[in-house]
Amino acid sequence: MFKKTFISLALTTAVSASAMAATEQDVQNAFHPYKNDVPAYQGLSAGMAINQDNVDQFKEIIDPAMYDFIKAGDTEIKVGETTSFDLNNSYVEATRKYMNDVSLGDNVGEIHGSVAGRPFPQEPSMDDPRAGEKLAWNFKYGYNWGDSAAIWPFYWTFRDMNSGKAERTLKFNFNFLNFTHRTQQTPVPAITPNPSNLFRATYLQVLEPFDVKNTQLLIQRFEDDLKRDNAYLYLGFQRRVRRLSTGQVTDAFLGSDIMIEDFEGYNGRISDNKWTYKGTRNMLLPMYNHNDMPLDADIHQDEDGYQMISFGGKGNCFQNVTWQLRKVYQLEGEPLDPNHPISKRQHFIDAQTFTIPRTVTYDRNGSIWKTFSIGQAHPDHHLPQNKGSGVSIDDSFSMIDMQAQHCTTGQFKGIIDPELTPESKMTVQNLRASGK
Amino acid sequence: MSKTIIMTMNRVAAGVAMGVTAMSLGLSTTAVAADTEWAGFVENATYVRDGVGLSKFRNTAQAEFSKQLESDGWDNVSINGTLRATYDGVYDLNSDEFGKDAQAGYLGENWHGQDTSTAILAPGTPFPCENDPALCKNLDGYMDQSEDDARYPDFNDQLDFIRELYISADKQLESGTVLNLSFGKQQVVWGKTDLFRVLDVINPVDYSRHNIYDELEDIRIPQWMLTAEWRMGPDKVFDDSNFSLVWNIDKFRPSNLGTCGQPYAILDAGCFFASRINGGGPYVINDVVDYDWSLRNSQFGAKWEGVYGDTTFSLNALHYRQQLPSIHFLGGPGNNFGLFDIHFPEVNLLGGSIDYYSMDQDAVWRLEMAYTEGEELARDTDGYKKTDMLRYVIGFDKNIIIPELGTSSAFLLSTQLFGEHILDHERDMPNKKDNWIATLLFKGFYMNNRLSPQIIIAHDFAAEATAIAPSIDYLINDNWKVNAAFNIKEGGNKAFPWSAAGGAAAGGQTEPLARFLNGPIGVANQEDEFQLTVRYSF
Repeated sequence: MFKKTFISLALTTAVSASAMAATEQDVQNAFHPYKNDVPAYQGLSAGMAINQDNVDQFKEIIDPAMYDFIKAGDTEIKVGETTSFDLNNSYVEATRKYMNDVSLGDNVGEIHGSVAGRPFPQEPSMDDPRAGEKLAWNFKYGYNWGDSAAIWPFYWTFRDMNSGKAERTLKFNFNFLNFTHRTQQTPVPAITPNPSNLFRATYLQVLEPFDVKNTQLLIQRFEDDLKRDNAYLYLGFQRRVRRLSTGQVTDAFLGSDIMIEDFEGYNGRISDNKWTYKGTRNMLLPMYNHNDMPLDADIHQDEDGYQMISFGGKGNCFQNVTWQLRKVYQLEGEPLDPNHPISKRQHFIDAQTFTIPRTVTYDRNGSIWKTFSIGQAHPDHHLPQNKGSGVSIDDSFSMIDMQAQHCTTGQFKGIIDPELTPESKMTVQNLRASGK
Repeated sequence: MSKTIIMTMNRVAAGVAMGVTAMSLGLSTTAVAADTEWAGFVENATYVRDGVGLSKFRNTAQAEFSKQLESDGWDNVSINGTLRATYDGVYDLNSDEFGKDAQAGYLGENWHGQDTSTAILAPGTPFPCENDPALCKNLDGYMDQSEDDARYPDFNDQLDFIRELYISADKQLESGTVLNLSFGKQQVVWGKTDLFRVLDVINPVDYSRHNIYDELEDIRIPQWMLTAEWRMGPDKVFDDSNFSLVWNIDKFRPSNLGTCGQPYAILDAGCFFASRINGGGPYVINDVVDYDWSLRNSQFGAKWEGVYGDTTFSLNALHYRQQLPSIHFLGGPGNNFGLFDIHFPEVNLLGGSIDYYSMDQDAVWRLEMAYTEGEELARDTDGYKKTDMLRYVIGFDKNIIIPELGTSSAFLLSTQLFGEHILDHERDMPNKKDNWIATLLFKGFYMNNRLSPQIIIAHDFAAEATAIAPSIDYLINDNWKVNAAFNIKEGGNKAFPWSAAGGAAAGGQTEPLARFLNGPIGVANQEDEFQLTVRYSF
C-alpha cells in the first residue's frame, strides 16, 4: 500500500513538474503575442468609435463597467490599432534565465526561486487551481515601471461626475524603485545592502495645494510577501514622520477615490487575497501612443513642451485616448480580510506587459463600486528619454466611484531615468529632509 | 560673536528675504524668478470667549519660498524661507477685556472665583511697560511686550516676521553617504508627540498665540541654528541610519507665556509676574536674568536615528536652557524691591523615541522619553528646587473603518499618555511627584476629505481638568478653507498652600502656587470659546 502511494505521488510530481516547465515558445508567446498577427473582432476597426448606438455589438470585448458607461452615453471608445508593447529585453532575458527555477510555496504569498523576470511565463490554465496566484505574481514582479521611474509631476483632480466641477487638484511627484528583481539599471539583480530584504519602495510628495503641501508617503514592500508593508507618512504641518497602520492603505488617499492599495492596479500583498484566474479573452484596453492623443494644454506647461492626456465624457471623468484590442487575462482578487471595504476586484491584465489597464471593484454587497482605467502609453511615442526603455508607461488614470458619481483623474509625466530615483530617496530620513 | 552678530544675522536675513521677494516679483532676471517657488495663505481667526466676548481677531499673511541654487560640488542647494505678518485686532475691538486698559479685580480673576488669600497679591498690571515703568524695568526682556508688540507679534527686535530663513546643501561623500549642512533661522523638530513636548524642545514656543492648542509648527520660535546631518542610509544592520548635530547659536529666548493683558497667558503667569504685594509693596519679580550671547551660553545637541526592521528609533542628547521660568526667592517682603528673580537654568537632556508597527493589532505604538538634569521647579518655601525629571509619552494610533458613521474613509484614533516624574520631589512643590495627561484624537473624513470633523480631548489627572475641542474643517476648494471649533475646559479648581498666606493651616489657596498644579488646561477653565477660522491659500 505504502509503495503504491509513493509511486502515485512520484508520478504526480513528475507530471506536475513537466506541466510547469517553461519553454522558449512560452517566452515568445508571452512577450511577443502580436508578432505574427493581431486580434480582430467582427465589425471592429481602427479609427471607429464605439458609442451608445453600437456598443451592444461589442459587449463581448468591453468590460462590464465600461459597457455600462457607454450604454448610458457617459463616454465612448475610440478604437486604435493593436500595437506591440515590447518590454525591455533585459527583462525578457531574465525571464529566460530564471523561469524554470521558480515555484510556488505551500501557502499563498510564498514563492521560491524568483530572482528576476516574469516568474510564470507559461499560459495560465483553467485546470491549474493556483493559476490566479501565478498571474498575481507575474504582475507583482512585472516590468511595470522598469527598475525605477519617476512621475514628475503627477496631477490628481477630484471631480463631481454629475456637475463636472473640478473640486480639487493635487500635484505630486512620485518615485518607484525596485531593490530586487532588477534587470536593466545597475546594479542587477539587487541593490545592496538591503538588511530588511525590501523588494520595492514607492515614494510620493505633494507639491500643491498648500493645505497638504509637503505631505509625503513612503511605502516599503518586503521580498517576503507574508510581511506587511512598512508605510510612513510625513505631514508638512507637523514636520514629523508617522507610521501608518494598514487601515490607511484601504482608505481614500488624501480624499481621492483611490486607496493606496489601488496604486498601479493593485498595490498590496499577494497573500492578502484569494486569486482566481477567470479566463483569457481579447478585450479593448486604453493603450495608445501619447504623442498622437489630444492633449491638455492647460494643466501643465514645462520647458520640455510636454503636455498631458486630456479628459472628457461625463464629468470629464474619462481619458481622451484610443483603446486597442488586446489579449487579456481576467483575474479576480478577493480580500481575505472580512473587514476590507471591498468584496473583490476584477482585474483585466494586459497579457503582453502584465500591466493592469482596467479594474472593476465591487463593494461588500457585491455591487460595482469603482472602476479604474490606467492608460498605458507606448514608450517610443512619449518623452524622448523614454524611447527604447521597454516600459509600458502609466500615463493617465481615471478612478470612478459609480455609486457616489464622483471620480479622480490622473495626468502623468512619467520619466524613466534612474538619476531621479536614487536609493536615498526611499529612506525615512528623506521624508524629514525633503519636508523641512 | 556677540548680541551684535545675532542682530546682524537678523538684518542679513531680512535683506535676503526681501531680495528673494524682489527677484520673484520680477525686479531681477526672469529666469531667477521662475526658479523660486512661493506658497502661502492669508487667514482670519475670530474667537469669541464665553462671558468675555471677542478674544481673538487675528489676521495673518504667510508666505513660504524655496529657491534652488547651482553649486559646484554640492547638491540640492537651496534657500528656504517663511515670512509671516500678523495683526490681532482684539486689542482694538475688545479693549475693555484685553490690552493695556484691561482691568482685573484680583489676581487670577480669569481663572478662579474670588479668594480672600489673593489680598496679599495685587492684580497683575496689564502690559506693564505701558502702565508701570518700574515693573517694566524689572521684567526687562521677558513678558514686557507693549500693546503694539501683541497687536503685531511678528514685528519685533528679533525680526520674528522671518519665521524661517536658511540655506541647505548636500555633499556626496566618497563612502556613498551624504552630509547635509543647514544654516539659518529655522525649526528643528525632534520626537513623535502631539500637543505636548518631550524631545521637541530645541525651539522655544510662543504660547501667547493660543495656549497649547495651535500647531507647534506655528508657535515654535525659530532660532539661528547650524545643523549637520550625516545620512548614512542602509547598512548590514539598519535599514536607515542618520546622525545629526544641532548647534543653536541664537541668543537664548525663553518660551513666551503671554504678557498680562493678553487673551492667552498660559498659567496666568504673565499676571502673576506683573503682580506686587498689595498696598504698594514690592513687585513679585525683581529681575529677569539675561544671558548674553557667548559660546558658553549656546545650546547644542546630537541625535542618532534609524530604522531597524519594523522599528524606527532615535537617541537624543541636548544641552539647552530651561524655556520656562524658574523663580528664585530673594528674601522676605521689604528686603528687596522685588521678591523673586527669574532664571532659566542650563539643562542636559538624554532621551529617545521608538515607534513600532504591530501587525497583529494593525496599529502603531509610539514611545518617547526624556530624562533631564538641571531643571528647576517652583516650591513654596525656597521658591525653587533643582531636580532631575523624567518625561515620557506612550502613543497608540490606529485607523478604523466604521461604515455606520456614513463614510468609507477610515477614522483616525490617536491616544497618548503623557507622564511626568519628579525625581527629587518635595512636599511643598505644587507639581505632583507623578502626573499624567491623557489625550484622545478622533478624526473622520467625509466628502473626499473636504469635510473633516474631529474631537480632541485632553485630561490632566492632577489638575482634574479636561479640555474638549470639537471642530470641523471644510475645504471649499483648493484655496478656501473654513474651520469652526469649540474649545471647552472644565476643572482647574485645585488649591495649594502658600506659606505666606498661612500655608496648609488655611487649607490652601489658589494664589499664587496652585496655578502650577492646575496646569495649562485647568488655569484656562474660564476660556470656553467658539472659534472660526477662514483661510485663503495660494
